[in-house]
Amino acid sequence: MTDDPRPDGGYATGYARPTDERRWPRLRRVGTVARTEYRLAIRSRWAIALVGLFGLFGAMLATFSGSAVGPEGMERVVASLTSLAVYLVPLAALAFGYDAVVGRETDGWLEVVFSLPISRAQVVVGSYLGRAVVLAGATVIGFGATGGLLVREFGTAYWGAFLAFLGGAVAVGLVFLAVAFLVSAVAREKTHALGLALLAWLWFVLVADLLALGVVAAFELPEFVLTAFVLANPATSFRVLVLGELGTTSGGGFAAAFAATSLSSGLLVAALFAWAIGSLAIASVLVSRRRL
Amino acid sequence: MRITANDVRKQYGTVTALDGLSLEIPDGTTFGVLGTNGAGKTTLFKLLVGLDRPDGGELWIGDRSVADAGRSLREDVGYLPEHVGFPGALSGREVLEFHADVRGLPRDGRIDDVIGTVGLSTSAADRAVSGYSNGMRRRLGLAAAVLPRPGVLILDEPTAGLDPRGVVEFHRIVDRVREDTGATVVLSSHVLSEIERVCDRVAVLDRGRIALEGAVEELVDADDVTVRLTPADGSADELTAAAEAFGRTAETNGTVAVRCSASEVPALFAAVESTTDIADVTVERDGLDSAFREALGEVAT
Repeated sequence: MTDDPRPDGGYATGYARPTDERRWPRLRRVGTVARTEYRLAIRSRWAIALVGLFGLFGAMLATFSGSAVGPEGMERVVASLTSLAVYLVPLAALAFGYDAVVGRETDGWLEVVFSLPISRAQVVVGSYLGRAVVLAGATVIGFGATGGLLVREFGTAYWGAFLAFLGGAVAVGLVFLAVAFLVSAVAREKTHALGLALLAWLWFVLVADLLALGVVAAFELPEFVLTAFVLANPATSFRVLVLGELGTTSGGGFAAAFAATSLSSGLLVAALFAWAIGSLAIASVLVSRRRL
Repeated sequence: MRITANDVRKQYGTVTALDGLSLEIPDGTTFGVLGTNGAGKTTLFKLLVGLDRPDGGELWIGDRSVADAGRSLREDVGYLPEHVGFPGALSGREVLEFHADVRGLPRDGRIDDVIGTVGLSTSAADRAVSGYSNGMRRRLGLAAAVLPRPGVLILDEPTAGLDPRGVVEFHRIVDRVREDTGATVVLSSHVLSEIERVCDRVAVLDRGRIALEGAVEELVDADDVTVRLTPADGSADELTAAAEAFGRTAETNGTVAVRCSASEVPALFAAVESTTDIADVTVERDGLDSAFREALGEVAT
């Protein structure tokens, strides 16, 4: 026996995959799924619709709510944009993602993909990344256009607060996109997924905030409970994050009551990150156990 | 690649999909799986592809256990599901590129090869799948399944919904694929003549078990016929009694069906005409149909 792999004679030919592909086959597969999802989202005009939605509402708000002259006007507009985004971005993200699993299953595509040498978790993560790029891009372009209007109108004094808003809007969008994937993994039919997505939106954006506000008003609660209330709702975390950066309590709701608490921006960002990762991880587990 | 199933069981709630199924599919054969709806055909295929796990028993493809090999085994398996679907916004070529990329295969050459093998034109391959007919979708699905030159090709009712011309063309494509890849092909169908035309061996599944298995040419017995006799007076009892000596009989709506050897038909006619006036007679050569019915406990009628 010898360790020398060289032949004694003749020649051999074969296809050698690039080193990176051999080393990172999982990343390649995830990337392939993500590219395909991105392509499909672009071709189905979701990207244009989302940019139009965010751009239109943002521009309307910038035009009609910046009544104060000077930098304070921009602060008020950013606070109003935050109030708008807390309703609009989760709704758009849920609508964009609710059919990611159940819709592909109905189309017959999921069975085809799952019969390939790729894990179901890789399919979920790849699909999420592809759609996440589209959603994040649409958020930045749509609200970014509003930012351009604001800078022209008010100057750059509160530009940092606007960037915080933009980053928060992207983050909360990605969280609710992950929640949409979770909803899609739970549902067996597209209509059920749509219903669950609307229920999730109602809960996180309207009901949970109102309930928390009622509890806070009725009882004297220790700070860790209040912190838990904020972190348990990504929409509230987003609102507190941006209002904290503005240093204002305008914008109303449960979040306004906590804008001045000791919650750090880092903790709020970590909470949003955990919401996205957690939802996606549970969705991956459910899809792995899903019977086609 | 050889496929072996050993005492495979699968239960969905109260429904038993596979009930101790054991089967051996030799390397390189084209194997037909027959059965009524709910017999367990699609469940067997999903277990082979790894889309589901058996509750018990063992499945082997080649010398690798399906349960242990996991998704790496799918590199050697091509699968065309019954309800095959693709995102409508992708072109056929992009679908194949997706498959090639996920499988880590080079795109060049092979994709054009399989497009040619399944008879998709280049212009059709570059069009969006949303404009494809059912037949074109099936061809694309088959192209995706054979792309990696799999050792095993699993086709779940591949001709369902195709018109007769499409079915004939699909059979030609499967023949080409067999020549091209040398794969073990496992396919299910409700069309017995299709199995008879395409397959070397066949198994009949009944309530999750193998009711019959063998070479198609052995099961299609050219010497056997089914004779259907309708008595003129409507009374089938005497006719049945006279015919029983020649083979298995069954009565349906006053017509008696007798399954017997072709050489015995003259003697059968003589025997029944001596007891009863016959109003109508038909004689049919037995195909896979009779074997299928017999396997399911139905006498040929």
